[in-house]
Amino acid sequence: MENKQSVETVIHDARKPLNHITMNAELLKIMVDKSISPEDIKKVAEQIIVSAKECSETMQQLLK
Amino acid sequence: MKSVLLVDDDLEFTDIACRIIEYLECEVFSAATLKEAKQWLDTQHFDHVLLDFMLPDGSGLHLLDHINVNGISTQVTMITGHPSVKNAIAQICSTEIGHLTKPIDADDLKQVLCNAGGNNLPNKNKTQSHALYFDCLIGESSTMKDMYRMIERVAQTDANIMLLGESGVGKEMVAQAIHNASKLSGQRVSVNCGAIPKDLIGSELFGHEKGAFTGANAQKKGVFELAQDGTLFLDELTEMPIEMQPNLLRVLETQTVTRVGGTKSIDVNCRVISATNRSVEEIAQNKVLREDIYFRLAVFPISIPPLRERKEDIALLAQYFLNDMNKQNKSSLALTDLDMALLMAHDWPGNIRELKHTIHRAFIMADLQENKLVFPASFDSPFSRATQAPANANPPPQILSPHAPVTPPPVNTRLSADTAVGTTIEELEKELIYKTLASVDGNKTNAAKILGISTKTLYNRLNSYEQTH
Repeated sequence: MENKQSVETVIHDARKPLNHITMNAELLKIMVDKSISPEDIKKVAEQIIVSAKECSETMQQLLK
Repeated sequence: MKSVLLVDDDLEFTDIACRIIEYLECEVFSAATLKEAKQWLDTQHFDHVLLDFMLPDGSGLHLLDHINVNGISTQVTMITGHPSVKNAIAQICSTEIGHLTKPIDADDLKQVLCNAGGNNLPNKNKTQSHALYFDCLIGESSTMKDMYRMIERVAQTDANIMLLGESGVGKEMVAQAIHNASKLSGQRVSVNCGAIPKDLIGSELFGHEKGAFTGANAQKKGVFELAQDGTLFLDELTEMPIEMQPNLLRVLETQTVTRVGGTKSIDVNCRVISATNRSVEEIAQNKVLREDIYFRLAVFPISIPPLRERKEDIALLAQYFLNDMNKQNKSSLALTDLDMALLMAHDWPGNIRELKHTIHRAFIMADLQENKLVFPASFDSPFSRATQAPANANPPPQILSPHAPVTPPPVNTRLSADTAVGTTIEELEKELIYKTLASVDGNKTNAAKILGISTKTLYNRLNSYEQTH
């Protein structure tokens, strides 16, 4: 039971950075369409990487 | 420029969403708590409020109360990051309140924020309790949203469209949606190709001149002419006799018709939407449609998903049908969580049509004292894909209700095994009531218990049967 709860918590916590990744990707699509500067686009890509790492770390908890 | 208030405590989400909203050319403000949101709303007008369901200092519903109590005029869309509460939110979100699930994509945001502008994007009909896309479609599932996008695109063109989908998925409604989105000056004309007698198909499609054949007492316009500058909906296209199909091909190619018995060519201009419940493979294998006709009419094929592939829409549709019946009958019956679980568990081989009839049946059988619908214990149908043990295929009436007596009633109480498609719900209901009554020697109190309805409801039903005979 306890194990199930911890899995649910991890899923809940992992969903947040995953949402950020998806929405940042949406933002990137718009930025490319609007010919926004490569520097700004790069910043969003970096945020995606940060969120992906955060998500990976959250899931790592399952193995502990 | 529209002003939007985004209320969410996830600051990173707020930051990204604000940027997307800005790119959609809206002015956007954000609040992380209910308190902040209230301050904004009390000092400034917002065209739209995007509201998270769970906030650190309360629920988003509290803000809805605040908006209602203070008479603040704004459009509200609820946001949730929890897919599990999506359906609950869909139910809570009534009349003018939409809902979105995270992650929100730019198209969804655009759709929500641009709705109120009354442009060609899916419209939310404010007189209904659910979002009606193109004034006639219901569904928030991703498969339906994909279809809405296709409809939006194709509506701007004059391409012929073929709708593919199982029986009961709502092909005619989708045709209406395309017609509505196309904003054509002409009307939508429907013809069921499977229902026209072989000999009359020419007259039906192309019209006839007076005296063209025995019985042609007056001139008649064909459906192509009637749909001038509008939409012609050819339902059950694959049921059209193959020998008649070359006539159809000729009209499609030349854009002209000649009435039966006439000599003059008449120019026609309409979009043809055809529909079939056969799959593309079946059409090709069984040669029910000429290849050239298929390519003419299926310039843009749209597959309408069966209800079992968009189960998240069941709640919305069920509630919509129930609201409609409540409105007609001035009642206020409601669906319980148990009812909803029952509806969600079924695979709906008859699709939306079956769901509508099931709600209708439950409405007829409703327990008015308890103010709730009465569904049968299972929705077995001869078409059900659910594999059932033969013993369960025809449940005897005594297990239809949780209040059923343990002792089995006398024989002759089973519902007719040959209940066929075409039997109306009313007929089945009547049979069920009389057989149940017979099983308890006419004791109405016991019969009502077995049926799971109030005695008053049973008396009402019996009275109505007597009045009709």
